[in-house]
Amino acid sequence: MADKTFEIPIGPVHPALKEPIRFTFQVEGERIVGVDIKPGFAHRGIEFMGLRRNLIQVLYLAERICGICSISHPIALTQAVENAAGIEVPPRAQYIRVIVSELERIHSHLLWAGVAVHELGFDTLLHLTWKVRERVMDILEELTGNRVDYAIPIYGGVRRDITPEQYPLVREMIRYYRGLFEELADRLLNDASIRARTRGVGVLTPQEAEALCAVGPTARASGLRKDVRQDWPYLVYGDFGVKAITPEDYGLAPQGDVYDRIIVRLLEVAQSIDIIERCLEEMPEGEITSVPKVPALLAQLKKAEGEGIGRHEAPRGEVIHYIALEAGKEEPVVWKVKAPTYSNLMPWVPMFRDQEIADIPIIAASIDPCMCCMDRVYIVRDTVEREVWKEELLRLSWGKTDRIRSRIAGRSLRAAEAEHGGA
Amino acid sequence: MNAQEVLAALKDALGERLRTPEIRTRSVGVKSPRTIEEIWAHIDRESLLEAVGVLKSLGPVHISIISGNDLGEEIEFLYHLEVGFGTEGGEVLVTLRLRVPKSDPVVPSLCGLIPGAQTTEREKIEFFGVTFAGIPDSRHLFLPEDMEVHPWRKDEPELEKLVKRAVKWEEQDG
Repeated sequence: MADKTFEIPIGPVHPALKEPIRFTFQVEGERIVGVDIKPGFAHRGIEFMGLRRNLIQVLYLAERICGICSISHPIALTQAVENAAGIEVPPRAQYIRVIVSELERIHSHLLWAGVAVHELGFDTLLHLTWKVRERVMDILEELTGNRVDYAIPIYGGVRRDITPEQYPLVREMIRYYRGLFEELADRLLNDASIRARTRGVGVLTPQEAEALCAVGPTARASGLRKDVRQDWPYLVYGDFGVKAITPEDYGLAPQGDVYDRIIVRLLEVAQSIDIIERCLEEMPEGEITSVPKVPALLAQLKKAEGEGIGRHEAPRGEVIHYIALEAGKEEPVVWKVKAPTYSNLMPWVPMFRDQEIADIPIIAASIDPCMCCMDRVYIVRDTVEREVWKEELLRLSWGKTDRIRSRIAGRSLRAAEAEHGGA
Repeated sequence: MNAQEVLAALKDALGERLRTPEIRTRSVGVKSPRTIEEIWAHIDRESLLEAVGVLKSLGPVHISIISGNDLGEEIEFLYHLEVGFGTEGGEVLVTLRLRVPKSDPVVPSLCGLIPGAQTTEREKIEFFGVTFAGIPDSRHLFLPEDMEVHPWRKDEPELEKLVKRAVKWEEQDG
């Protein structure tokens, strides 16, 4: 009998994917029987670069590991370096770091909700969630000066204070989202088509989540109460007694499907709002950094010897940075970064098993994957085996510009000739 | 569970094979500060599986990542493991350090105990050119399958060329 299993490659570049990754699905009819996942298409060698730069430059690199959780990596890195070098962080700075992290969680979860419903074909709701997301983006821009890459944490504190005039703006945002919560919950959780497309789809059992080291909302939707903020307190999260959220907090038994992942992220938006409100109430006045001058900071870091770990619960789950410093060296000796999608790569495999081809986009999106975080050599292959390096890309791009220029020049020449001829 | 209990269990099982174990503490929080304890220890590759087995018997074990460093003759791996991940304030971070000689770069795979360790082990294979004995899938993960340069090895002959090219690009941009 002929083999009934077929292979369907999806990606690295595919309309159903927002970022590059290659899935090779084995299917029998419409049913998925296996999947092979190949990441690495957005690997930029950031850790390698970091080992050849001073720590301030490394901070800039860390900020650019990911555009969505652009504060998660600096938060983990600064903690790792502060632990290694023994730098204290003033209380006010700790609160500001938490406020910006939680603002990031709100924007990231709303962004995800939009992407998820878009994958289901529900674009009206995509527009609604992204419209309401603009509010938190405005606040982020107001507080940090940027919509992405906030450049807030620095070793020993933060780079910008929150001014008294900004407090009411943040409080207004809190009221705005609280007023919206019921509506968003109703739209996302009570909609018959969303429920039909997500209930029982992409299931990850708690045993699989545990064994495969799932993190973040992906693990929590399976009923595991794992949250770095709760399990391994850092900054001021321990003071707040942050609790990991599972679907049980919404009164439902966790099933570990896509629907549960929507519930968890939605409740986490509400949780982040509460945390921000509490930060605004409790935040003491004071310094925002223990070493305000960057040259002094750099000198102190150059003398530091030691190693440290920094962790953070990013919107997608656990981020960990390990750093080792040697006295007399400006650059770190070791810098290892782990982003949440890295841990959530293997849990994808059981999620896809026995599912239908049509559900691939929503299951893929359900862990809120972030490839640029996870991949960190850029090598392009065509039929001729070769590597395309930056100088060649530059040369190609200059060549194209030259061709466009000469074409435009040629056209205008022809236009002038035509004009001349017509006159 | 606290760090003392975890360390005691490790010492009981491994004895002298757990070298230079230490508990590093620091205080976190502003209004109600609490102490966070981390365990750091050296271990031989022969004892790795046993040590992780002990940790696993204490509670759910999560592997965050394996960090690595090229020390010259040897490669050092740091296993960042969390015991009791998912218990409120009860998680203990354990970092086990092990060294393997470059002449025999074989490390036992943790996949039998923690299947989720496969991603990070595959990354170490391509970046350090080591072998994990018993890993179910040893293909390259992030790098192309036929890439023979191991970028995190400091004695990599091709590495200098890679770096020189990188520096040249930067100069061009500047």
